[in-house]
Amino acid sequence: MGYDILAKIIELTDSEEAIEQRLKDVANLLAESFAFDQCALYLWDDEKRVFNLTVVAGDEVGCKKEYKEDEGLAGFTAAKGKPLLVAKSNPDRETWRGTVDKGIAGFTTIICCPIKNSLLYGMLYLKNKKKKSISSKTKKLFPVIAMQIATAIKNYQCIINLKDFNTRMKDMQARLVHAEKLLALGEMAATLAHEIKNPLMSIGGFAKRLHQQLGQDSSHMIYVDRIVKEVERLEKLMEGIVRFSVKSDYEFSSEDINRITEEAISFFEDDLKGSGINVVKSLSINMPRVEIDRQQLKLVFSNLLANAIQAMENGGTLTIKTRHEDNWVITEINDTGGGIDPAIIGNIFNPFYTTKERGTGLGLAITHSIITNHKGLIEVNNNLGVGVTFVVKLPVAIKEDRILEVS
Amino acid sequence: MKEKILVVDDEEGIRLLYKEELTDEGLDVHLAASGEEALAKLEKNKFDLIVLDIKMPGMDGIEVLRRVKEKWKNIPVILSTAYHHYKQEFGTWASDAYVVKSSDLKELKTTIKDILNTGRK
Repeated sequence: MGYDILAKIIELTDSEEAIEQRLKDVANLLAESFAFDQCALYLWDDEKRVFNLTVVAGDEVGCKKEYKEDEGLAGFTAAKGKPLLVAKSNPDRETWRGTVDKGIAGFTTIICCPIKNSLLYGMLYLKNKKKKSISSKTKKLFPVIAMQIATAIKNYQCIINLKDFNTRMKDMQARLVHAEKLLALGEMAATLAHEIKNPLMSIGGFAKRLHQQLGQDSSHMIYVDRIVKEVERLEKLMEGIVRFSVKSDYEFSSEDINRITEEAISFFEDDLKGSGINVVKSLSINMPRVEIDRQQLKLVFSNLLANAIQAMENGGTLTIKTRHEDNWVITEINDTGGGIDPAIIGNIFNPFYTTKERGTGLGLAITHSIITNHKGLIEVNNNLGVGVTFVVKLPVAIKEDRILEVS
Repeated sequence: MKEKILVVDDEEGIRLLYKEELTDEGLDVHLAASGEEALAKLEKNKFDLIVLDIKMPGMDGIEVLRRVKEKWKNIPVILSTAYHHYKQEFGTWASDAYVVKSSDLKELKTTIKDILNTGRK
């Protein structure tokens, strides 16, 4: 019978099912094949250092949800590293040779077997109410079964880790591609900007002279006026491109993000008056300082605030939050402007991409490049129909005494 | 007497614009299309101020600035260029002012006036 069971267990643990289902199938098979009233399978949580009940087959009565690392037969067996066969004369007792285990009350024959290969993955409990004799051949089978279960869990964890790693790799690759794209676009833009700026200056400069000489009543005034205005717009665009593409020298200093946020908000006081926009500030106190370029960061928050305000033409709520999480200082800017069309969300950080009639398409591209130059991250949480949250994460400034480790 | 200034820029349009605008400001404007031409003019004439473009084919503005400060260290120089970032770069520190090019010449005119006024005192 032994080989049949083993073959089935290998088949079950190797199936395409979710790991919980596979363990459930194994537990059912064990309870049935060995005719035990209950088969419980616990998985080891290395962080919390407990065994958690994962699946149970048969009669679930008295089954404990959790065992601490030194608790009950699970703890005892884990310490020994070998399977244990318990035969009690009195099923009501919760103790076996001094080991208290409430989970065995009501059972007379218990097999407790660690699920392990080189590492401990969990604990297998087989319990029977009536006294049961187990042949030595069957006894030898349990460590092998447990090892097969352990291998299945190990493989599963490896796959999960691999998938996780793969996701992170893809994420990194996407970031890299984006960075390269920005760099190439930036270089091209800078070359173009230089070629355009000088002639533009001539056009604009002479148009201004014409403007002065024509006099207000000239019929040509509106044409010249248009030239002057359009040149100003183009010059502004060129300024943006140059700012974006030329790595300006950052002046880093230790700053309080709340102060910078407040300063950026104060720029928009006039725009917010009578806009129907309700401003909610939730700035966390005791924020660690960040090593940043004040002006650049103010530009980042101004860009994000301007976008949020523009998205709420008919009013809404602008929420600005700061918080500290792990090694990040996080600023969130949330609007209730209806969100971004998912079809274009992949483009919003690309230079020259804009949905606004008079936008340059550089605001978010510049924002992205400034944050990247601060070794930070910027994320968009889009809630279509509701609004958008831009999340700016900046690394917490490392204190110097922490850098000056052992030399 | 009108103050004599030298504008050095390789773009013809910009030279013409400066000439017109700055003449209107009451200045005696002379032009040079290259660094070499500028140095030649400096040898022959006495100028009160130089407006100097940085990016030029041949001798660039930084090199012209270096030579001017060696030989005529009392002539103030305003660097004028399309970019902000030269401001921090090595070599521009020796200039008296730095103006970013724009079709709006207000900043340049104010800077010229300020420097000439300080010179008079």
